[in-house]
Amino acid sequence: MRFAVAVKQVPDASEVSVDANGSLVRLGVPAILDPFSEYALRRIIAMKEEGDEVSVFAMGPPQASEALRRCLCLGADKAFLLSDPSFAGADTWATARTLAAFIGRYMSDADLIAFGRQAADGETGQVPYETAGLMSVRQFAYVTDLHKAADGFVATQDYGDVARSVKVPKGSVVSFYGTDPCGTLMSLTDRIRGYGIPIETVDRVAIGLGAYSVGLKGSKTRIVRTDSKSMLRKNRKVAMSSPGRAAEVLLEELEARR
Amino acid sequence: MSQCSGGSCQTCSDDPDRLPPGMLRRYDLNESTADGVMVWIEADGGKVSRPSAEILAAAKGLTDGRVYGIIFGDAGLKSEYPRIFGYGVDTLYHVRGIASYSPEAYAEAVSQVAERVNPAAILVSATPRGRELAPRIASLLGAGLTADCTRLESDGRRIVMTRPAFGGNLMADIECVGFPQMATVRPGVFPLPEPKEGKGTAIYWQYPPEQDSGVVSEEAVQTEAADISDARILIALGAGIRDRGLVDVAEEIAASIDGAMVCCSRAVAERGWLPRSRQVGMSGRTVRPDLYVAFGISGAVQHRVGISGAKRIIAVNRDPEAPIHAFSDLSLLTDAEEALKELRDLVAGKPRRRSS
Repeated sequence: MRFAVAVKQVPDASEVSVDANGSLVRLGVPAILDPFSEYALRRIIAMKEEGDEVSVFAMGPPQASEALRRCLCLGADKAFLLSDPSFAGADTWATARTLAAFIGRYMSDADLIAFGRQAADGETGQVPYETAGLMSVRQFAYVTDLHKAADGFVATQDYGDVARSVKVPKGSVVSFYGTDPCGTLMSLTDRIRGYGIPIETVDRVAIGLGAYSVGLKGSKTRIVRTDSKSMLRKNRKVAMSSPGRAAEVLLEELEARR
Repeated sequence: MSQCSGGSCQTCSDDPDRLPPGMLRRYDLNESTADGVMVWIEADGGKVSRPSAEILAAAKGLTDGRVYGIIFGDAGLKSEYPRIFGYGVDTLYHVRGIASYSPEAYAEAVSQVAERVNPAAILVSATPRGRELAPRIASLLGAGLTADCTRLESDGRRIVMTRPAFGGNLMADIECVGFPQMATVRPGVFPLPEPKEGKGTAIYWQYPPEQDSGVVSEEAVQTEAADISDARILIALGAGIRDRGLVDVAEEIAASIDGAMVCCSRAVAERGWLPRSRQVGMSGRTVRPDLYVAFGISGAVQHRVGISGAKRIIAVNRDPEAPIHAFSDLSLLTDAEEALKELRDLVAGKPRRRSS
């Protein structure tokens, strides 16, 4: 079986901090493999049997190959980097369009296309389903469990109020629900294997899309304004002589709302 | 055919504003005629869901045109019609023929109806199903889609969608290029309207019988009856609470006050001390209580997104530099764990007084 896993490189959220003005300090923040992507990849690797092939692909600048390198060390067999200056600034539509075109060209025989639930930086969680829609294949969201069955897979989906078990035909898009808070440890042999596999770079022309289909030009949404102050409140700080005094103040506030 | 037709073409005229005879005004044929707002109404268990009701009530104010609702289910939903029209829906499309929830069939049906009514915007609640459904619809219609909006503003047709970006540190205003404009809206950002009865047009939309959706089994998951988004007063626990026993202390305080509940930040939910349904913030719930008391919450950027609708925020935190102070009304600089215990003693020492 052939598996395709879409991954993303994101800034490490645990390293992001806020300065005195309430704006984000992004300088020097290391980039990592998105934890949601990593989780999806690990679930797929866990299903891999003799003769199966796991390919990973990521859209991003040339530096994103580091995230793909990590995927190879985790056990992926092939890696593709979708990188082209014209891909920059893509919204979810342009991203899905690019991924769908790539899958059509390079992964059309994949038995399963796996995504993480969302990416840790954008947190939209739209790309998997937009890609599935553009490819006209079925989509399975919030997958908590997936295993092989005759002629496809069986997935367990968690919709919050309902958990359901469903047959997944070959060629479908699935998105895995969780993340792994602890990350993964890799052995030296895994690393040596991972560093021995080349990463293939794929540009816009190779997937056959025009310049107005990708990146900012191909996007259907525009950010018109950003504002970092809107949630700030007029704050009054009071140093409390003791926790007991604080409790009294709180009790007054609570009493006022009985 | 080289003869002049006497001023009916513009070639003879120097006046650029002169129109051909019979033409009353100039039309811009590239201008879209899309108008109105369409809302997907989620109806679990035959009842209109709370997030859908919130959006319906807000939709009327976003458009000069009509509000269209689209709902999926069997004939049993007819009893919900008066309530739906009461929320401001003018035309309701009731799609039948889809036995159980299927994102592919739902998206197909929504896009069919959207092609017919040509709405300027399609709004979907950012519930688990909505988050999966909206991108599928967007891909079928070629529409721009903004995820997880916390505010919508409109000039009658064009909508500016506001959503938290970069983990909630920035609010980004986003516009769609072209029509329809699409957005998923975070539950809890609009107030829940008072239910009232109304009248409107209902249209059945028969969806062709679908193929086997492949669902093997389905079971309802037990969920907590009380919802933190309904609470009037919230006692929130953060990473600064290191003693697990304090969760029970907080529950004791909440139990003695009407309409109070305990919620938490992501750190506490990840420790497993409280269920996910109690988590407030970017990856949890959005709440708008009258009073939000944050114990030991540092105020990570993701958390503030969930509480920006609170009427009053009080932070109890020892660290004067913690970011939470910037978005709370009052900060009590003291040990949160001790303050929580003291508050329990104070509350417990008083005879219970109940309002109404």
